[in-house]
Amino acid sequence: MNLVSYLGPLLQNAGVFIILALGLNLINGIAGQFSLGHAGFWAVGAYVGASYGVFFAPAFLPDFVNLLISNVLAIIAASIAGILVGVPCLRLRGDYLAIATLGFGEIIRIIINNLDVVGGPRGFTNIPHWSNLFWIYLWVVICVVMLANLLRGTHGRAIISIREDEIAAAAMGVNTTKYKTLAFVIGAGMAGLAGSLFAHAQQFIHPSSFSFMWSVIILLMIILGGMGSMTGAIVGAVFLTFLPEFLRLFGETVSEWRMVIYSLLLIFLMLLRPQGIFGKHEFNLKRLWPVKTGDAK
Amino acid sequence: MNVVLKADALTMRFGGLLAVDKFSMEVAPTDLLGVIGPNGAGKTTVFNMLTGMYIPTEGRVSLLNEDVTDLSPHQITQRGMSRTFQNIRLFKDLTVLDNIRLAGHFRLKYRLLNSILRTKAFKQEEENLITEARELLKIFSLEKKETFLARNLPYGEQRRLEIARALAIHPKVLLLDEPAAGMNPNETKELTALIRWVRDHFQIAIVLIEHDMALVMNVCERIYVLDHGVEIARGTPAQIQSNPAVIEAYLGAST
Ligand SMILES: Nc1ncnc2c1ncn2[C@@H]1O[C@H](COP(=O)(O)OP(=O)(O)O)[C@@H](O)[C@H]1O
Ligand SMILES: [Mg+2]
Repeated sequence: MNLVSYLGPLLQNAGVFIILALGLNLINGIAGQFSLGHAGFWAVGAYVGASYGVFFAPAFLPDFVNLLISNVLAIIAASIAGILVGVPCLRLRGDYLAIATLGFGEIIRIIINNLDVVGGPRGFTNIPHWSNLFWIYLWVVICVVMLANLLRGTHGRAIISIREDEIAAAAMGVNTTKYKTLAFVIGAGMAGLAGSLFAHAQQFIHPSSFSFMWSVIILLMIILGGMGSMTGAIVGAVFLTFLPEFLRLFGETVSEWRMVIYSLLLIFLMLLRPQGIFGKHEFNLKRLWPVKTGDAK
Repeated sequence: MNVVLKADALTMRFGGLLAVDKFSMEVAPTDLLGVIGPNGAGKTTVFNMLTGMYIPTEGRVSLLNEDVTDLSPHQITQRGMSRTFQNIRLFKDLTVLDNIRLAGHFRLKYRLLNSILRTKAFKQEEENLITEARELLKIFSLEKKETFLARNLPYGEQRRLEIARALAIHPKVLLLDEPAAGMNPNETKELTALIRWVRDHFQIAIVLIEHDMALVMNVCERIYVLDHGVEIARGTPAQIQSNPAVIEAYLGAST
């Protein structure tokens, strides 16, 4: 087997999952709002992007322009879904928010399953092949730079303060509802982007591509890498994209027990390094010249 | 009299418990007032009603001649009243500098897009914010610790940082909930001087809840005494110290 044709799709998926994990990390890890519906926003983006490609895209436009239009539409659609879900749900705390977002993800999947125009349970086929490694990783870079800059500004600090102590944040004049919603909408928009890139890379999407299990796996990516760390989200996404392929080397049985292996992995992680591989830290060259944080060595 | 903060018959019920009963208070622009009373008297509940954390069952709060009773905590903070908490509520995993910078959040004018694109407005405002934060840290002798995580500060410094953070709001009224709790006598003494200095320097009103009688009698110009949610006395430190009801309910109990 040709290594490029084997690695290509895997790297594509890794890029898509990096964007998904970065978005969920903003919601769960940085704003501290426990969401379990990320696959729902991913689905919205994928189906909106794919619908544009199949039904509306003018053929005279170059592919990359059509891809960008599809990306933008997917971001807008998923962000709107983010507002619709976020505004009522972000009033809920902890477990309740998780359940409400989980419900949203399932509702989206069921709606798509019953939408005949986009193939319903048969899946959505013949999506134009516009995205590739270049576009996916260009977007990865844009997302990383955008998020890093966001977090170093006052809006990012406001989002972090909510995770740290919501009551203190409000006492410091931070409109907590606004910034929770902002984090949620940006995260959802990024999932939408990932959906559109994914659809135009795969050319075929199916409602079960976006099942609850995927929300859990994306969550696992950020838990593994370290909630609140972008570096962690990236490493977690790449790791969990390649792990199933690695397991396949050991035969079908091991591969089928994938979810069990993930669970064991999670248990070991909780025992050995509950904060995830990177904790809340980022990969940073400056760390070679450490500043005093008062942390015990 | 010019009034910056007015509590008008504030009442708070938690189910069957009457935690605060018709508490009224008027605060002038550079007042330094104390609220005292035994544990569970309702002092913190008063602060929570003033700052919008609790919606009073009855009564009104007005800040700088505006009725703020129904506003949320961040709106009240933005209108010029900030506070500290009895159980310190710092952003523990953020640096000392970031704790202070957060208090400047609502005053900054640059937009999300400015920070994503690192524009001039972003850099300029952030620079000013840091300069100002450092000045505050200096006042509170925390300038050498700006890169420390808040949770790694000793207790007394955490208390000071929380006051510095509340001042970074640029408040007209500052509420301190047991600022000396957990401090040693030496730290308490320094804090006493600091509180007075802050009032004089920033020309703001300060209302503090405190158990340390030496601190309260030393620094407060007027004192409100609460017992079981009811105001049993108000007056100057001298009047309070000789008030039989207070001695009975509070000072008597502790000596
Ligand atoms: N959120 C709440 N729910 C129920 N009871 C409360 C709440 N907050 C305070 N209380 C009760 O109100 C009374 C006054 O509490 P508090 O204001 O904290 O007293 P203090 O600060 O004077 O020690 C106490 O009996 C306390 O248990
Ligand atoms: Mg109290």
